[in-house]
Amino acid sequence: MTKTNSFKLIKGERIIDAKDGNVLERGALLLQDDQIISIGREEDVIPPEGAQVEEIIYENKTVLPGLVDCHVHLNGIGDGRKGDQLNLLSDEVLTLQSAKNARTHLFSGVTTVRDCGAKNSTTLRLRDAIQMGITVGPKLILAGRPMSIIGGHLWWFGIQATGPNECRAHVRQLVKEGVDFIKITASGGSTGTSVPLRPSFNLEEMQAIVDEAHKFGKHTAAHCTNTQSMINALDAGVDTIIHGIYNEPNGDRSYRPDITERIVQQEVFLNPTIHQSRERIWQLDEKSQNEKLTSEEIEELNTTKEGHEQRIEEVSKMWEAGVKIVCGSDSAWANYKMGRFQADINSHISIGMSPIQAILSATNLSAQSCCIQDQVGTLEVGKSADILVVEGDPSKNIDALWNIVDIYQNGKLIDRGNYI
Amino acid sequence: MSNINDFILIKCSKLIDCTGKSPIENAAILIEGSKIKALGHESKVVIPEGAKIHSYDYPESTIMPGMIDCHTHNNGFGDGRLGDELNLLPDEILTLQSIRNLRASLFSGVTTIRENGPKNSTLIKLKEASDSKIVLTPRMLICGRALSIIGGHMGYFGSEVTGLDQARSETRNLIKQGADYIKITATGGSTKTSFPFRHSFNLDELNAITSEAHKFGKLTATHCVSTQGVINSIKSNVDMIIHCIFKEPDGSDKFRPEVVEQLFNKEIYINPTLHVKRASIWDLLHRKEKIGLTKSEEILLDKNKKDFDTHLQNCAKMIDSGLKLITGSDSSWSSYQSGNTVFEIECLQMAGFSNMKSILSVTREAAKSLDIDDIVGTLEVGKEADLLVLNNNPLENINNLWDVKDVFLGGKHIDRGSDKSLNSVKQLRPILN
Repeated sequence: MTKTNSFKLIKGERIIDAKDGNVLERGALLLQDDQIISIGREEDVIPPEGAQVEEIIYENKTVLPGLVDCHVHLNGIGDGRKGDQLNLLSDEVLTLQSAKNARTHLFSGVTTVRDCGAKNSTTLRLRDAIQMGITVGPKLILAGRPMSIIGGHLWWFGIQATGPNECRAHVRQLVKEGVDFIKITASGGSTGTSVPLRPSFNLEEMQAIVDEAHKFGKHTAAHCTNTQSMINALDAGVDTIIHGIYNEPNGDRSYRPDITERIVQQEVFLNPTIHQSRERIWQLDEKSQNEKLTSEEIEELNTTKEGHEQRIEEVSKMWEAGVKIVCGSDSAWANYKMGRFQADINSHISIGMSPIQAILSATNLSAQSCCIQDQVGTLEVGKSADILVVEGDPSKNIDALWNIVDIYQNGKLIDRGNYI
Repeated sequence: MSNINDFILIKCSKLIDCTGKSPIENAAILIEGSKIKALGHESKVVIPEGAKIHSYDYPESTIMPGMIDCHTHNNGFGDGRLGDELNLLPDEILTLQSIRNLRASLFSGVTTIRENGPKNSTLIKLKEASDSKIVLTPRMLICGRALSIIGGHMGYFGSEVTGLDQARSETRNLIKQGADYIKITATGGSTKTSFPFRHSFNLDELNAITSEAHKFGKLTATHCVSTQGVINSIKSNVDMIIHCIFKEPDGSDKFRPEVVEQLFNKEIYINPTLHVKRASIWDLLHRKEKIGLTKSEEILLDKNKKDFDTHLQNCAKMIDSGLKLITGSDSSWSSYQSGNTVFEIECLQMAGFSNMKSILSVTREAAKSLDIDDIVGTLEVGKEADLLVLNNNPLENINNLWDVKDVFLGGKHIDRGSDKSLNSVKQLRPILN
């Protein structure tokens, strides 16, 4: 794209560039078309002579990179329905839902998402539609259909592979259709026919998938809800472990420092999806304010609370051990509607992150885990001008991320009033 | 559903109920659930005792029924592309384009649409998504797909049939899939492989389709851009004729009063789709303003202008003959973008309708033509509270229909975002004539 002579100069009370933990007081950003071409202290950022410059001043506001949610399910409705029901909806309906979610997430400040599994080609078609200008959404990093075994987690989205050959063939097919990464369900999950406490693919199948993906420069992310699946993922050289729960086959929780150490050594990202269960706790807590919970709901609340506390403890240890933990909401799966990524970011405070660390985890690191750090995740010269402006100072109070003032995507101010 | 908290009270300075009565000043509408519980002068609308009321006050606005657009193509882009190109897009993309068009219609005050021909199951699925509240749309009456002959108009959308048995089975199939009415292309059209000046289905095939549809209580509507299609449609008791253009097999124009008389006698509704031709003219004029036209484009412009003028004159004659003309925009077909239904209403006014008749053609009369006048089309007790709130009185100037303040669908206030929503789809008049 040839550069035009059109510039935007954005000045903020403070800028969080998310390169490291620094906060730049009275900073400025210079944009040319869709790119950042200069960043620094207000007095140091000077547009070229004779340029047409639109100057936007954000008094008492914070400028930071657009958020990167490394784990979404655009197909999801977030009303508590199971995937086993969701997948029965037609591709057209799921595409409509995906477009709605994409818009909601973008308008909430998320300018990049990684979709971790959708039915058939729905998300790929959504991306085409966004490119055609039919609808709006964040940048989409897509898995298309997840790799699953027969009856494994998310099998109904379209792939059930057996044996290294079939695995390689499916990876090639996905790459041909234009996916950006390969999602693998390395263990069972909420899918009725799957076995969450056991691994799904055998190691040689996992290795075939990862090898084939890496050959084409595509990264991999594995859903792991038990210990053995994490070991398999590490043995196979997976790039991101999703969930990462230390469950034994009998359901016992047993934290494994040795595996955590391997995650650190292999520099694998961990997307712990901490808030997913807390969202349900919040919903049931809120409901109990107004009405009596059923006995099933009380039981659900108690088990979810217990599980959540165990998670916090587990993930805190992993964070302390130096694991690269990335924010990724897992919305709109289960009960977690889209447009609320901030709640997941906030949950990372409870594992010991400072607000600025949580911000880095939801921007810079998250972008790294999606392999798009050359384009987004920080405010740096040469990167896409995906920018979030919020009221207040999220480096002091993480919940300031909710107070959206403006969102820029590729240098353009998102018009959040246009609902067409 | 009788929840005492469910009431909504809307007050306005003027109410056009579209029953044919004169407007009510200082009116109020009481809504329970999705329906109108009471309406009239505000002094006469009694609020039930102990009821919690959510109020909307419009002291300087006119309220009328939400508009009913009898003819939409939600798959379309309205950017001039032919259906022959449109149908190459995948169903998912067409579905996403459709919801965009449906929002444009709804935000512009159209609370009911009748879809006239989408690809495959796109609108069937979209209606499912709307029914299950995944997306917000106007009320939708759908045909599923238009019935076509092999190579006929819109055959590429998925329903080409030959012979009586196929005609009947596809009609049954569409009804099974959720079609509210049956759309038939009785002549060719813009589809390249079709013959616009010739009829498509033979009379016995057309009879088979309409009788099958009527058997299940479904209405029929035929696309007719030449006279023989109109004649066949009359013979097979079609309920609405779309376009209704009087052209002979050689493409020449010939108005046929005796055909019009038959249309009158059988009380067949006419959806003349005037603006879709004017939109193509405007498209060329915009192009002329910006970059000029080629010789062949100039010829096309002249031809389009002549066709539009002839059709406008014919519509005037049809109105004089007492035919029932209703508003159906045909957007987003060809160059006519959804959200601009008012242009078609304006054309009907140009053809001779008074402002009130023009408004009735998109409310009460449109509802009758779709057989939904027991639900919508007028503001009366027991009807759905589909309301259009306008900043100015459309009886004074029909173009006041553009100036939408608020829209209610089934008593629900529609969040339309900012002005940018409608501005993003508004089509502009050309400077040139």
